[in-house]
Amino acid sequence: MKFTADRAPLQRALAHIHGVAEKRNTIPILANVLLSHDGETLRLTATDMEIALVEELPSEGDRPGATTVPAAVLFEIVRKLPDGVRVEFEQADEDAPLIVRAGRYETSLNVLPVDDFPAMVAGDLPHHFTLPSGILRNLIDRTRFAMSNEETRYYLNGIFFHVAYEGKTPFLRAVATDGHRLAKIDAELPLGAKDMPGVIIPRKTVTEVRKLLDADDVSIVISLSETRIQFQVGPITLTSKLVDGTFPEYSRVIPSKNDRVLRVSRQDLAAAVGRVAAISQERSRPVKLTATTNHLSLSAVSPDQGVAQEELDENSVTYNAAPLEIGFQARYLTDITDQIDVEAEFAFSDNASPTLIRDTQAPEALYVLMPIRV
Amino acid sequence: MSHQFAGKPLRRILHIDMDAFYASIEQRDDPTLRHRPIAVGRSQARGVVAAASYEARRYGVRSAMPSRVAQRLCPDLVFVPPRFEQYRAISAHIHRIFTRYTPLIQPLALDEAYLDVSDHLAPFTSATALAEAIRADIYRETSLTASAGVSYNRFLAKLASEQNKPNGLFVITPRQGPKFAAALPVERFHGIGPATTAKMHALNIRTGADLGRYPLDGLRAHFGSAALFYHDIAHGIDHRPVEPNRPRKSLGTETTFSVDIPTYDKAEPILRQLTEKVWTSSLKHHVSGRTVTVKIRYTDFKTITRAHSLPHFMTEAETFFTISQGILKALSPFPKPIRLLGVTLSGLSLQNDADTQQQLSFFELS
Repeated sequence: MKFTADRAPLQRALAHIHGVAEKRNTIPILANVLLSHDGETLRLTATDMEIALVEELPSEGDRPGATTVPAAVLFEIVRKLPDGVRVEFEQADEDAPLIVRAGRYETSLNVLPVDDFPAMVAGDLPHHFTLPSGILRNLIDRTRFAMSNEETRYYLNGIFFHVAYEGKTPFLRAVATDGHRLAKIDAELPLGAKDMPGVIIPRKTVTEVRKLLDADDVSIVISLSETRIQFQVGPITLTSKLVDGTFPEYSRVIPSKNDRVLRVSRQDLAAAVGRVAAISQERSRPVKLTATTNHLSLSAVSPDQGVAQEELDENSVTYNAAPLEIGFQARYLTDITDQIDVEAEFAFSDNASPTLIRDTQAPEALYVLMPIRV
Repeated sequence: MSHQFAGKPLRRILHIDMDAFYASIEQRDDPTLRHRPIAVGRSQARGVVAAASYEARRYGVRSAMPSRVAQRLCPDLVFVPPRFEQYRAISAHIHRIFTRYTPLIQPLALDEAYLDVSDHLAPFTSATALAEAIRADIYRETSLTASAGVSYNRFLAKLASEQNKPNGLFVITPRQGPKFAAALPVERFHGIGPATTAKMHALNIRTGADLGRYPLDGLRAHFGSAALFYHDIAHGIDHRPVEPNRPRKSLGTETTFSVDIPTYDKAEPILRQLTEKVWTSSLKHHVSGRTVTVKIRYTDFKTITRAHSLPHFMTEAETFFTISQGILKALSPFPKPIRLLGVTLSGLSLQNDADTQQQLSFFELS
């Protein structure tokens, strides 16, 4: 096998590959990237048996072939090569090491046999639809922070994508929750998605897919079954297993009768939360909010460091309900305010019940947050 | 034997231990609970007894025992929900009493502490008289009883406080110390657990006397760096100072296998035992944690640790186990057999902090 490829697309592809390849090093071949050159295209494949990513890029050379080398090492090498260089790959026969050359640089990498590289079977994927990259990016960004990483509740370790109805109108909805907070966002239902099953996309897949969505207005082709999902982004195909579990009846945690409404400038609130919480040494960093008419007071207490307080007045706060004292973890608050543009609307019930939070300019998204006892 | 301290003046160490602390507070505050078997803790399926009154102990009810087992042993057992806020307030009061007598106080938990009174005896003529004064203060101001152990080091003071419990005092003098240690079965030594006991029994070491006679080099071969400590305490020697302000950062345990373990399946039951042991000790120290660390050592002595932190405190032994299990699973299949497995709970906070700053959950999802 012998071929050349441009460094820039190669580096981009290897960054994606590197994210997917297994890093825990339990089964050595899973840490490898499969390179296969057919004369004009280089195909790179990585899998950890949960996710498989295939990316294609142009290559040149009249000796086709395939081999596998450690993905992390090859990524590191290509990353350090100078810009604009052409990279040459050569392997004498299928057991020989892979020679990588660029300018005066040369390395020889040990290979593992192509036959040992596992293939991930996608199976039949009966549902297909297309989403603009911007929409998928939005669905992911507004919900991913609320995914759980507790292995005890694996069915919360992902984003739940499903068809939901508001009245008679169907939406494509993304929901994530870790049992303490919940994020939900709706998008227009794309053609072909109406009959799709509800699916839980695992955390790692969410992270890797998100990396493919930075380009604007690319169409993402999504195909899925009840157990697999596939994303096609230009020359990249990412196939993933889905979380095998049932997402809980999340609608029961969304309160409908919270009538103590507070509107606050997102920027002022986030800055105040950050400053007040800075005193706290604990990881949970509880911040107490005290709402009175058109006034919000934020405070935090640390047994060792002292007390911090900040007042927001009618210039940034609107509140006309009965006075309220409620505590939240600072990070949980800022995770949500980070999703909000200009003004946040809180709807409280009491200091031990779920609080509803919305972006007044983005009605399609909704957040629910449980307080902390302070 | 270490003689470098031989020239040092004799220390006077007290171990003050409240009698059935939580349970006694509940009985004090609610007269209807007096003279009845009570357990502080929750009676639910997975609840654990945090403390038992002396009436309950007669039935075999012990702290850290699953509530179900306790209820079976003692059908009349009354469960009282814990009030850590209250226990901590009273503990702080008792600590203030100690400070009237000496600044050298090392709390071990809410209900026990070591005091070094060597340089703070006056106006008392003996450490025993001082200990009695402390016990009287505690009783007068809190209506609770404490037991005291008086001796010349921590190890013997702690043993002494157990002798006349409850509401008692016991002295182990420098003359009695070595004899006391010599007569003691090894399993009663603090710092010698069931595994070490079994190993010592296999070496025909059954009492302090056996342990003291065993050659130090031989002990080193079997017990490594702990050998000198064992050898010393067998002779009633313990140089550890009373150290104020040393809050616990973590609780952990580990075990080295007699036969190396090749697979996850074989390791899992041991992991369960280890997590149960650490959990029990976290109950005893009244702390909860949010970080779990699992440590394994391969046959080639390469050691790796992996940790996982939760955003909130763990409240159930099962969560602690499941997280440890997840970490160990992620490390399997083991590339080589493992010779050691350990688990640690850290990110600790006293339970009442964990209680009052509790992150609430959507109950509908749990």
